[in-house]
Amino acid sequence: MIRRLEPRSGEVIDRATPLKFTWNSKKHIGYAGDTIVSALLANNESVFSRSMKYHRRRGVLTADYWDPNTMVQVGTEPNVRGAHRLLEADMLVSAQNAWPSLDFDVKAANGLFGRFLTAGFYYKTFIKPQRLWPAYEKVLARFAPGGVVDLNTPHGYHDKRYCHPDVVVAGGGPAGLAAAISAAQAGMNVMLVEHNHHLGGHLRWGTDEDRAVADELEATARMAGVEILTDSTVTGRYDDNWIAVSQRNHPGVVERLIKARAKILVVAPGLIERPYVFAGNDLPGVMLSGAARRLINMYAVRPGNRGVVLTANADGDAAVVDLERAGVEIAAVLDARAGETISKASGSSRHLNSVTLLDGSTVKADLLVTAVGWTAPTSLLNMAGDRPCYSPKAARFFSTALPDNVIATGGIVGDGRLDELIAHGASSGELAAERAAAVKHRLRSTVTRAQTPEGPEPPMPADHRDGLCKAPHPELYRSDTHGMVDFSEDVGSKDLLSAAAEGFDSVELLKRFTTATMGPSQGKLETVNTVAVLGEARGESIEEVGTTVWRPPYAPISLGALAGRVFEPVRVSSLHEWHTANNMKPILAGQWIRPDHYGDPAAEVTNVRTNVGIIDVTPLGKLDLRGPDVPRLLNLLYTNEWSKLPVGRVRYGMMCAEDGVVADDGVTGRLGEDHYLMTTTSSGAGQIWQWAEMWLQTEHPDWQVHVTPVTTGYTSINIAGPRSRDLLTRLVDDVDLSPVAFEYMNVRSGTIAGVADCFMWRIGFTGELSFEIHVPAGFGLHVWEQLIEKGADLGVGPFGLEAQRIMRLEKGHFIVGQDTDGLTKAPTTGLTPLIRLDKADFAGKPELEWSLGAGAPELPVLVAIRPTDPQLVPDEACQILRKGTAEIVGRITSSRFSPTLGRSVCLGQVTPEFAAAGTEITVRLCDGSDTTATVMQHHAHFDPEGVRLRG
Amino acid sequence: MADQPQFRSSVTNPVATPAGAPALTDESSLTKVSVRARVGASPLGVDFTRTDRRDGVLIAGIRPDEWLLLGAGAGVEALLAGTEFDGSVNRIDVTHSRLCLRLSGVCSASALEKVCSLDFDDTMFPDGATGSASVAKVSSDLIRDDQDGEPSYLILADRSFGQYLYDAIHDTTTEFSSAWPSS
Repeated sequence: MIRRLEPRSGEVIDRATPLKFTWNSKKHIGYAGDTIVSALLANNESVFSRSMKYHRRRGVLTADYWDPNTMVQVGTEPNVRGAHRLLEADMLVSAQNAWPSLDFDVKAANGLFGRFLTAGFYYKTFIKPQRLWPAYEKVLARFAPGGVVDLNTPHGYHDKRYCHPDVVVAGGGPAGLAAAISAAQAGMNVMLVEHNHHLGGHLRWGTDEDRAVADELEATARMAGVEILTDSTVTGRYDDNWIAVSQRNHPGVVERLIKARAKILVVAPGLIERPYVFAGNDLPGVMLSGAARRLINMYAVRPGNRGVVLTANADGDAAVVDLERAGVEIAAVLDARAGETISKASGSSRHLNSVTLLDGSTVKADLLVTAVGWTAPTSLLNMAGDRPCYSPKAARFFSTALPDNVIATGGIVGDGRLDELIAHGASSGELAAERAAAVKHRLRSTVTRAQTPEGPEPPMPADHRDGLCKAPHPELYRSDTHGMVDFSEDVGSKDLLSAAAEGFDSVELLKRFTTATMGPSQGKLETVNTVAVLGEARGESIEEVGTTVWRPPYAPISLGALAGRVFEPVRVSSLHEWHTANNMKPILAGQWIRPDHYGDPAAEVTNVRTNVGIIDVTPLGKLDLRGPDVPRLLNLLYTNEWSKLPVGRVRYGMMCAEDGVVADDGVTGRLGEDHYLMTTTSSGAGQIWQWAEMWLQTEHPDWQVHVTPVTTGYTSINIAGPRSRDLLTRLVDDVDLSPVAFEYMNVRSGTIAGVADCFMWRIGFTGELSFEIHVPAGFGLHVWEQLIEKGADLGVGPFGLEAQRIMRLEKGHFIVGQDTDGLTKAPTTGLTPLIRLDKADFAGKPELEWSLGAGAPELPVLVAIRPTDPQLVPDEACQILRKGTAEIVGRITSSRFSPTLGRSVCLGQVTPEFAAAGTEITVRLCDGSDTTATVMQHHAHFDPEGVRLRG
Repeated sequence: MADQPQFRSSVTNPVATPAGAPALTDESSLTKVSVRARVGASPLGVDFTRTDRRDGVLIAGIRPDEWLLLGAGAGVEALLAGTEFDGSVNRIDVTHSRLCLRLSGVCSASALEKVCSLDFDDTMFPDGATGSASVAKVSSDLIRDDQDGEPSYLILADRSFGQYLYDAIHDTTTEFSSAWPSS
């Protein structure tokens, strides 16, 4: 580690913990606490990447998170910020955006054609001929910058957390720390978010006295109970202070997204040092004063041997002192405040050799440090609605107006001595605490579950803080030569001037055309320089040009963090374990995991038709309806009549939306005088509950009806087949199941297998004699196992959804959403007798009255279809054509091969012209061939008279 | 006919609480009765978002027109039998419909914060308060019912989500166990 300095008082490295790592397969050693880049620099590596477009060698520029030149690949992780990511043992670090190697990069040939690769080159060059774009795309993709994504990388544990702090402080510098402390000491719940690994901001790379102040502030903050998040970023501020925080160092997780609803946000991000634009400003060896000071004082790394310093402020002056202390020979110090500056930097492309001054003289140096001013990172203020205004006196932007729940402090507000910054932070924290208390009072008054606050709501405290001054600073943006403005995107000042000359002279257009400010630095380094160069082009001041609006995220955030933990709720019935243990082939139906079949759906059909089968139909929607006005609700929801349903009877009904389109169907049984149980389709359970509540709460709040969803309160089992009565009889002894006592479309309550309070319905979706039983779910598995056990000699077996679908299709029962769609009005189903237009009202009645009236357009008709080729099963959604033409007259909505009938069976929608029984139709198959089929008289292919069903 | 069989919860695979982590227990077998009345009525003398405990039965105002009674079956029956309701009140046994999990311990609110966006601050969600929210994307009712001086939350949701919700909440607790890596 030939550039590592002797131990220093403020260093953050742990020399007792050496770490081995490799850089482009070369072995190195760093220390715990090093960043990847500080460790590499200590090992005399000074080139870390190739630039995006011209593939120029790049060295360290800022030595922090925002450094655009130090993106590296770590193992399988691309685009790692090498100047921020801490070194770990055995890290495999490699350069990206270079081929075949960082040292010899073939793509650097781009630099030879640099004069032709100005902004817009790709847009203009590859737009024509359009047919060649696929070829262009393949070639251009090879030039895409960035690292290599390994698609086999496992998804790490990304976490999410919600929280409601009273105050969030964005920035852990002296002002931010002081704000957090005073807010916490005022009794507030405070979260402090610091972008870097250490608290203290610029004090960390300052003097021993600076660090002592930082340490004291940090200790006080911890003692005050501030929740401190380091290596974390407030990435966005949204309405009502919804604050997004990316936490990168939470133990045990890759990255955590915190969604904080803060009562007050204190913005204290400090300032970000700005690069200077001149020829050669991207040569390795040219860096900002903050970079040099961080490397020396925090990581004990000497950034060069012989340096030139361009300084316009006290930080530049301090850099001179630090460099000298680090043993760097100072070749020249140019004081911009006295009008001195540099013209260009020259070198071999691998490193800086000399610096040319304005008078043309040159100074030999391998290090050029610039300190020409700061950018105020006003992103979070922008997100709060602020439009910052430029101050030529201070050479940076300042906020103008902020909402009450956002407070700014520190360097972003103004300048001052350290004690003044801390005092401003402290008074900001006090203000934040007072305002948070007012917000909290309001919240506690309005959230019913909260503890009621004492006294009236206090007014929002006014801002009476003493301000910070705006210290004069020279405006230094570009020298007399052209250089790089956006280091991330390889956009130079010449590119910006050419784009402006082409007419892209609005700052928003210029940004999008050149992509300046759109790289990984997100404008933190280059926005103001971009505006300044555009100002040159337009002959206007920065104030007149204005700036772009910073939007979230403040700093890039990983897709993994945004995705967070994967929450995909799944629902299972109480029989799920049994299904799993008995060869279930599952199917995902919405959130439900259901048995599609148990190995042979055709055999399951045959068993139901000949013996008895049982199916788990728990997902069937079930709503408990109670109250004297239930019939009124049923009459409103269903199209048919419900006023006189006797106790113990079940009735089928169809529901429509207001536009007359079929919304759901099912049966409802009357269990008691004022007690009903409604069933809905499985997929419609939640929707129909909301539909019922909507009518009750908005249109008929006077009706006495209580709707309670009980879908999963009951395990629902359909027992179907000619032996179903025999089977159920073995488990029930308090209900007479005989055909006379328990007729079709009746409901009874009783005890099944020792389980009380069960319901039994005689209905049949399969077309067989069947009983649908609803058992309290906690006992569902017991009853199911009893059915299997007691019915063994009857041939009982489970059947799944597929067998049920086949049998219902054999029987011609349609499924809402399968045989109907979002345009299918009720008459299409053929159930017109159930549409009782003589009722006073029901949902969809006006539309259906019109649809059934004279002159209305004819509606499609749902019909049963029998393909001519009995073995051919047209795919669902196949088109039905007018014979000999390409005119579409309908479609197949359901199709299966019927093991019962030995032929294919279908339902379909056709125009009325083709709905008559015996009509021959043409079905276009998915392979483009046509086949013929015949429209049948009944929907039912099997047992159209319903003899079995009513048996 | 045989005796009533044993109640089976939808949490079929509970796991041990890691050392130091908030305790997650399945209380689905508690008798749960929903009492429905007109909005604004107070048939049990408990306001919306508040709870009361009588003779071991927890009464929770979970919606403006709905109260949930939780407890042992006999206790709930006795309480209902001893309360006079007018004709507009309905009682529905939802024991089998509702999953009931209890999360207890000093870090239980912090664990819940990982899957629920409610504000669990003591002033915003004090002991004896109720709320409704998404928990790990499942619509749930939450009741704060502190035990032995430590925060404790009942989480009630549709039974069918049982194992999923149990696993999701259990996962949130592991961060607070002593086995979790420290920074």
